[in-house]
Amino acid sequence: MANDFQFIQVPRIDPAKKPAAARVKEFREIYCSFDAEGASSQADRCLACGNPYCSWKCPVHNYIPNWLKLVHEGAIERAAELSHRTNSLPEVCGRVCPQDRLCEGACTLNDGFGAVTIGAVERYITDTAFDGGWRPDLSAVKPTGKRVAVVGAGPAGLACADVLVRAGVTPVVFDRYPEIGGLLTFGIPEFKLEKQVMQRRRAVFEGMGVQFRLNTEIDAEAFARLLEDFDAVFLGMGTYTYMQGGFPGEELPGVLAALDFLISNVNHCLGFEKSVDDYLSMKGQRVVVLGGGDTAMDCNRTSIRQGAAQVTCAYRRDEANMPGSKREVANAREEGVQFLWNRQPVEIVGKDKVEGVKLVTTELGPPDARGRRTPQVVPGSEEIVPADRVLIAFGFRPSPQPWFVEHGIKTDERGRVVAVEAQKFKKQTGHPKVFAGGDMVRGSDLVVTAIWEGRQAAEGILDYLGV
Amino acid sequence: MNESAHLSGGLYRPEFERDNCGFGLMAHMDGKPSHWLVNTAIASLGRMTHRGAIAADGKTGDGCGLLMQKPEGFLRAVAHEAGIATAAQFAAGMVFLNRDTALADAARKILTRELETEGLAVAGWRAVPIDPSACGAEALKSLPDIAQVFVNAPAGMDENAFERHLYIARRRAEKVLQPGDKSFYVASLSTRVLSYKGLVMPAYLPVFYRDLNDERLQTAICVFHQRFSTNTWPEWRLAQPFRCLAHNGEINTIQGNRNWSIARGHKFATPLLPMADVRPLVSMTGSDSNSLDNMLEALLAGGMDIFRAMRLLVPPAWQNVETMGADLRAFYEYNSMHMEPWDGPAGIVLTDGRYAACTLDRNGLRPARYVILRMPGASEGDSYQGCVITLASEIGVFDYEPQDVLAKGRLKPGQMLAVDTGECRLLLPEDVDNALKSRHPYKAWMSKHVRRLDDEVAEQDDSCDLDGAHLAVFQKLFQVTNEEREQILKPLAAAGQEAVGSMGDDAPMAVLSRRVRPLYDYFRQQFAQVTNPPIDPLREQIVMSLETCLGREKNLFEEKPENAARLLIGSPVLSRGKFERLLAIGGSEYASERIDLNYPATMDLQTAIADVCDRAVAAVKAGKVILVLSDRGIAADKLTVHALLATGAVHQRLVHEGLRCDSNIVVETATARDPHQFAVLIGYGATAVYPYLAYACLHELARNGETGGKPVAKLLDSYRKGINKGLYKIISKMGIATITSYRGAQLFEIIGLAEAVVNTCFRDTTSRLAGADFTDLEDDQRLLARDAWNTRKPLQQGGVLKYLFDGEYHAYNPDVVRTLHKAVRSGDYNDYLEYAKVVNERPVAMLRDLLKVRADVTPIDLSEVEDESKILPRFDSAGMSLGALSPEAHEALAIAMNRLGGRSNSGEGGEDPARYGTEKMSKIKQVASGRFGVTPAYLVNAEVLQIKIAQGAKPGEGGQLPGDKVNELIARLRYATPGVALISPPPHHDIYSIEDLAQLIFDLKQVNPEALVSVKLVAEPGVGTIAAGVAKAYADLITISGYDGGTGASPITSVKHAGSPWELGLSEAHQVLRANDLRDKVRVQTDGGLKTGLDVVKAAILGAESFGFGTGPMVALGCKFLRICHLNNCATGVATQDKVLRQEHFIGLPEMVMNYFRFIARETREWMARLGVRSMAELIGRTDLLEILQGETPRQRKLDLKPLVAKVDGKAQYCVVPRNVPFDQGELAEQMVRDCLPAIEHKTGGEFTYAVQNVNRSIGARLSGEIARRHGDQGMAEAPIVLRLTGTAGQSFGVWNAGGLHMVLEGDANDYVGKGMAGGKLVIAPPKASRFKSNETTIIGNTCLYGATGGKLLAAGLAGERFAVRNSGAIAVVEGVGDHGCEYMTGGCVTVLGPTGVNFGAGMTGGLAYVLDLDNAFVDRYNHELIDIHRIGTKTMHPYRAHLQGVIEEYVRETGSAWGRYLLEHFSDVLEKFWLVKPKAASLSELLDTLRKAA
Repeated sequence: MANDFQFIQVPRIDPAKKPAAARVKEFREIYCSFDAEGASSQADRCLACGNPYCSWKCPVHNYIPNWLKLVHEGAIERAAELSHRTNSLPEVCGRVCPQDRLCEGACTLNDGFGAVTIGAVERYITDTAFDGGWRPDLSAVKPTGKRVAVVGAGPAGLACADVLVRAGVTPVVFDRYPEIGGLLTFGIPEFKLEKQVMQRRRAVFEGMGVQFRLNTEIDAEAFARLLEDFDAVFLGMGTYTYMQGGFPGEELPGVLAALDFLISNVNHCLGFEKSVDDYLSMKGQRVVVLGGGDTAMDCNRTSIRQGAAQVTCAYRRDEANMPGSKREVANAREEGVQFLWNRQPVEIVGKDKVEGVKLVTTELGPPDARGRRTPQVVPGSEEIVPADRVLIAFGFRPSPQPWFVEHGIKTDERGRVVAVEAQKFKKQTGHPKVFAGGDMVRGSDLVVTAIWEGRQAAEGILDYLGV
Repeated sequence: MNESAHLSGGLYRPEFERDNCGFGLMAHMDGKPSHWLVNTAIASLGRMTHRGAIAADGKTGDGCGLLMQKPEGFLRAVAHEAGIATAAQFAAGMVFLNRDTALADAARKILTRELETEGLAVAGWRAVPIDPSACGAEALKSLPDIAQVFVNAPAGMDENAFERHLYIARRRAEKVLQPGDKSFYVASLSTRVLSYKGLVMPAYLPVFYRDLNDERLQTAICVFHQRFSTNTWPEWRLAQPFRCLAHNGEINTIQGNRNWSIARGHKFATPLLPMADVRPLVSMTGSDSNSLDNMLEALLAGGMDIFRAMRLLVPPAWQNVETMGADLRAFYEYNSMHMEPWDGPAGIVLTDGRYAACTLDRNGLRPARYVILRMPGASEGDSYQGCVITLASEIGVFDYEPQDVLAKGRLKPGQMLAVDTGECRLLLPEDVDNALKSRHPYKAWMSKHVRRLDDEVAEQDDSCDLDGAHLAVFQKLFQVTNEEREQILKPLAAAGQEAVGSMGDDAPMAVLSRRVRPLYDYFRQQFAQVTNPPIDPLREQIVMSLETCLGREKNLFEEKPENAARLLIGSPVLSRGKFERLLAIGGSEYASERIDLNYPATMDLQTAIADVCDRAVAAVKAGKVILVLSDRGIAADKLTVHALLATGAVHQRLVHEGLRCDSNIVVETATARDPHQFAVLIGYGATAVYPYLAYACLHELARNGETGGKPVAKLLDSYRKGINKGLYKIISKMGIATITSYRGAQLFEIIGLAEAVVNTCFRDTTSRLAGADFTDLEDDQRLLARDAWNTRKPLQQGGVLKYLFDGEYHAYNPDVVRTLHKAVRSGDYNDYLEYAKVVNERPVAMLRDLLKVRADVTPIDLSEVEDESKILPRFDSAGMSLGALSPEAHEALAIAMNRLGGRSNSGEGGEDPARYGTEKMSKIKQVASGRFGVTPAYLVNAEVLQIKIAQGAKPGEGGQLPGDKVNELIARLRYATPGVALISPPPHHDIYSIEDLAQLIFDLKQVNPEALVSVKLVAEPGVGTIAAGVAKAYADLITISGYDGGTGASPITSVKHAGSPWELGLSEAHQVLRANDLRDKVRVQTDGGLKTGLDVVKAAILGAESFGFGTGPMVALGCKFLRICHLNNCATGVATQDKVLRQEHFIGLPEMVMNYFRFIARETREWMARLGVRSMAELIGRTDLLEILQGETPRQRKLDLKPLVAKVDGKAQYCVVPRNVPFDQGELAEQMVRDCLPAIEHKTGGEFTYAVQNVNRSIGARLSGEIARRHGDQGMAEAPIVLRLTGTAGQSFGVWNAGGLHMVLEGDANDYVGKGMAGGKLVIAPPKASRFKSNETTIIGNTCLYGATGGKLLAAGLAGERFAVRNSGAIAVVEGVGDHGCEYMTGGCVTVLGPTGVNFGAGMTGGLAYVLDLDNAFVDRYNHELIDIHRIGTKTMHPYRAHLQGVIEEYVRETGSAWGRYLLEHFSDVLEKFWLVKPKAASLSELLDTLRKAA
């Protein structure tokens, strides 16, 4: 029986975290797993609120209180089934979602009791179910004979493929990288998401009937073929154009784009490097990371692990107003990253290579229309922080393909593909056969929102195909 | 003028009318007539004026009258004077004729013709001399032309035949005349009885009918009645008595009874009557009493005698009564097969000219006290020669000498008492029963012919009959969701209990929803309030039954063995085993036919339904008896007729064709899974239901291991138990005890179905707004079918109970809660506007969302609108008890409301006296059915006293505070034991009818004359009519709550399916009050989900002048709508008593609540400015300021909301008087105050002497109020005022008695003695000259000591039913009690020196009782659930023995009781006959402490 007072009698206990000293030496996940008892007793802290704020806040609206209850009862496989009803990659979201801003941030108990450890339980459910041999049950699925091409094996594409295959439609997923996952594999460092997680997921998907065509670039010609060969096409190609600061010195050697850096590190770790020079090491370097999002944190912490002499992170707002997960900031700080808040870069200085970053101090002005407070420069506050390497993590913009136009795939003024949810066939683009979702539609966003988009697109495709 | 003229186009329906009253009979037992009897009967009627009502003109009563044994001599004389020649055998009729002489002539002609057709001769017509000046203006408007018709019988016709011919002729005449002539009415037409009735007050009856003053008018029997109708346009014809009987109370089952009378009309066969000529037997309109009279008349005309007829119509509870003998039980069981009980509060007096009789309903919900007098000068002896019996709602209705009293008593629940004036005999209840049971060998008939399915299926076959692979399709097609599996099915299967939820229903009603909702969701359960009480199905299980009878009905006029051949089942919820057994029986008696409800998708729904009906008719005509309507045969290319549509349509059709009683409808359906769904099916005619999908789901749960390993058979069994419990709850909330009376009674309001649907399937159900038609319902099916057969669509998750993304809309969804929290904390009006926008611009979710305030009105400047300080006093917080809320939250609310100038409501949990007089005091003090902490000091520390009749979340049910919430503080304030759960009864045990409510209002106004009395009702059809009745009962304020309000915990089906939206209830109340010219006398408030200023404005326009808020202020205090209030673990510290949560996690401040209300007031003003309205007073009732929106979905667009905003003529739009002053000025009580006030003020005490009569009600309350106001509940205990009284005290003697008031009464008293008593002493003993034995004589009435918290009651005689119900501290000694003694008792000590009725100590969780059990029958009479009993003769029990002895000694000292003295003298002998009764949970040693404290 559930204990109505568990949430007071048992405090929030996160799974153990490895000590910083040990974890900076390896590219391994820093959080340990729950054991069965820990998961059950933490899950029982859930009040099953009349308004499930967690589920409301969750971008894919996971049935959180329901699977927490199942975990408490020890019904892991049913919890896994339920978890997969709304989410194609729950074990990934359990690891990389900024829960403190989403489900756990909205949790009723987050006011003074400590939120339920939703993320860790989510991860526990699927990990445990997989370990126990559980696989999604597709025995009742009737094949429809229909095939859909999915371009991009990132979270949006995978989520789309997941929903399609469960409806008896065969998804064929194309990706230019050698492994599935897109940014999950190549962007997110292994200390947050170990690669065997995606490898296991790949095996599961293949077992379900998803076909992967990796190392395959889709260009105009290939796309035209897809349109001919498949009943529909889903585009989930992400956003890869990184934003620039627009200040002098960005072109200096030693200034790197965050994503290039992170990808090179993964390639290095996984042995996907095409040449040794591709590896951009920070060993012994003084690194300055510009930006305050999760990508900036990934850069910070990767640099530390590569053996950087010093890692400094500068961000133009204060700590409270940064966009990244608070948890990640805390982890970075533990691992030795220095933070400079309220600093805005105005120039990267150096002759032939980076020597330092010129920063000005800012203070927050009044909130803008969206409620975020715009930083304003404090006159006369310039300073130069010495640096050997500068990593720019200002975010990403879509990379619209030249062949969109000829196929009637429309984009908006910011280059995002137009594929709205609220229409007859959800996420349909200007080409009736083509659907799109994820970052390329929304702009750079969370993994979990990409999953939502991919799943919605799949619903649209299925309706379009009359399945 | 008739009502439809006032109210056409509105929400009112004539069938909503209710009436209750005072009633009685008097008879010369030896049959010797006198005129004295007529005079005394009229005088007695006058002494019950307070039980009737008086119209706005102050003169028109709701009607009263006399039905007397035919005054033969008088009639012959006046006939002679009028030149009419009467034959040896003649009849006289009292006829109301139209004042239009042409119509009157026609009526005379037709009646004459029909009488002649029957071989009778009309001797002549006599104009009845009347004095119209006795009538009020209202009555004059409809005054008919009253005439007497004299009819002669041919020589040699026997009296029975004569009577029958009169009946047949009259029925034929009525059928011809009444459709066209609304005035024509035959008040009586008989050779045995004659009626005088009219729309006058009792005192004016003999003024109006001059005949009544004629000394020649002599009779031996008078049945009399005074009516309290809920409206002010009573009709002459509805005055009582009717042609056979007069009825006090209400027939809850009336609609079912009427429907079945039509169905059964075809089964009645008697050679004595031409059935086709007299059908329909029962009027479908008019009052319930009228219909009952019709049925009785038909049975009598068909040759039945009054005894069998009455016992058949209103039987006692027999199914669960262990003490009833087998022969008698067989008599009732045999008769139960032929007619369902006419059930509900009923005291019925009747006469056929020879017998005068009285019957009470099974629950004894109306009082009936009798006294037999030996008239001065009559010779003493064994016989009743020279004796007069008087039986009435009250004792003491005329004055007599104590020494003339031969016997006094009361009728007990389910009993019938009669006087045979022909043979000068008194037939006591057991005489009546004995005579009936021995007429035929019923027991032998039954054992030979009855089959019991429960016995035939020894082993339940609970294997699953639904293929697992197919299950998902069924689940999707019939809308099983994961939420339902989890929240509804699992708890039922696990615990046999319906799941409990909190915080009401904030989702749209089915017709407003954008999602496909189950058809059952369009049906709102009706419930009893004010004019009749709900029943407690748990604590009063003894009266309840689900027994269901199958097989063809037989002719009830014939009593023969074969007519016992029926098939019985214990519950209409069939297991697989029973279902299959039932189909297997077969033979000509039980041949079955399965009718498939699935039809080709190419056909349309309406045709499919007609087709199902045709097949049903054909089957019955072909001799089939069991019709199985089955939706099991689903297919991908078929659609399904919803089982409910099919059941309703087939039932209606079979009734129409006269075939219904030859068949049974058994529904094999996937749609029925929760109790509400079963109830709707049964309510529309299903005999039994086989819920195969529910079973399959349970099998699935078990397969999945979701049920903790409990064996499947157990799960199914406990599921059925849970459904049965749920059914009990649903029928009992309507005050109905047996499922047979509920079947086909259609006790629902339909909201959102089109007329065509209602007429085809649910004819005559209240449905006022139209809505979804067959096309919409078919679209629903298509949508469901599409998803069901699509394997990729998963089972729906749910979202109807709790908010879920993409699920049903919820009015308190996370966005609403979040924005509100932000606004009240920041205090920023812009934040509030964000909240208001989320609410005011939501998708259509409530009826008011389809009513838009007009935008085309010229606005005024905001500064011209009345100030916030004028609006805030119109805001109240809704009643939420301390107990439900934490003290911190409760006090924060009170502080906020007091600072704002509004009022907070204590709820029903009492209030800490430390808060009195401070800003923490709740200005509204609630009086609910539990009466927790209701003491005189509590009542005088209030501006408003609110009687909570019902609450939105669970109308018709009582509250329950779980034991974990009862901590020391709560226990102290509620006079209870910490840790023990507290139960509030479903009914107020002092309100079983409208005149009872009037009495409670009077009680409250006596104790606190300065307070306004408010009555809280829940919206349902007819609530307007009830509101009118409440206004006539002198309430000052009426609250109409919507179904969606309600913060307390209640069963989920009650939360979702009972009660109606406030928009309907409020509009109806406003319309009816206006049409009745009562709106100016009462303030009207509404509550239920009010959230913003726009809500306030719409509510005002629909007729409210005051506004209640429950959930809103709770959310303002930090509530996050967790819906876990019932678990005591509220994480926000709002709804919990847990120390940690309250102290560390409650963040609420009065300022947050103040912000909330100020924001609302500000928004309200802004809307008013936009509407060009300067003040609330200008806004109330201005329905022209609303426009009806189109609606956003097809079915929303089909709603017809015009009745909501219909314009009704009337004078006032709002209350204009400061208070609604009762007709009864309570002069004696005022005199007492004048006499005693100095002694109270100076705390000196003193002794005073008065004589009292039954019209002196609530004696002592005025003084107790004055005492409590000055000295608190017990402050004067040391210097008491002693009143020495003689006579018969009126109702509520010693109500709210305070410490320091002792009343010693020589005489007797009526109901409610010592109700709500907190201290002091009441001593009642028979007059010294009495000759009866006190321990055999009733001395006080029903429901005495209800809710008492202290004090002493010593009464030398028997007490009525429900003695010491909810007593929590009083000490009492009586010589016997009726049924349900000490029910729900939580404290105090009750000593019963004699027998008790059944069901003693049900729900008793505290205190103790001593019961003297001379006949060793107590073991069968107490309720074994919560109490145990102990002998006290043993040594270890010595302290109790000593205590008991002391108790009796004091009793004898105070009352002088001879019986008490006898017991003391023989104490050591009788000691072993005493039981000590205590709650099981209390230990013997704890009790001793309690005793010492009490001493």
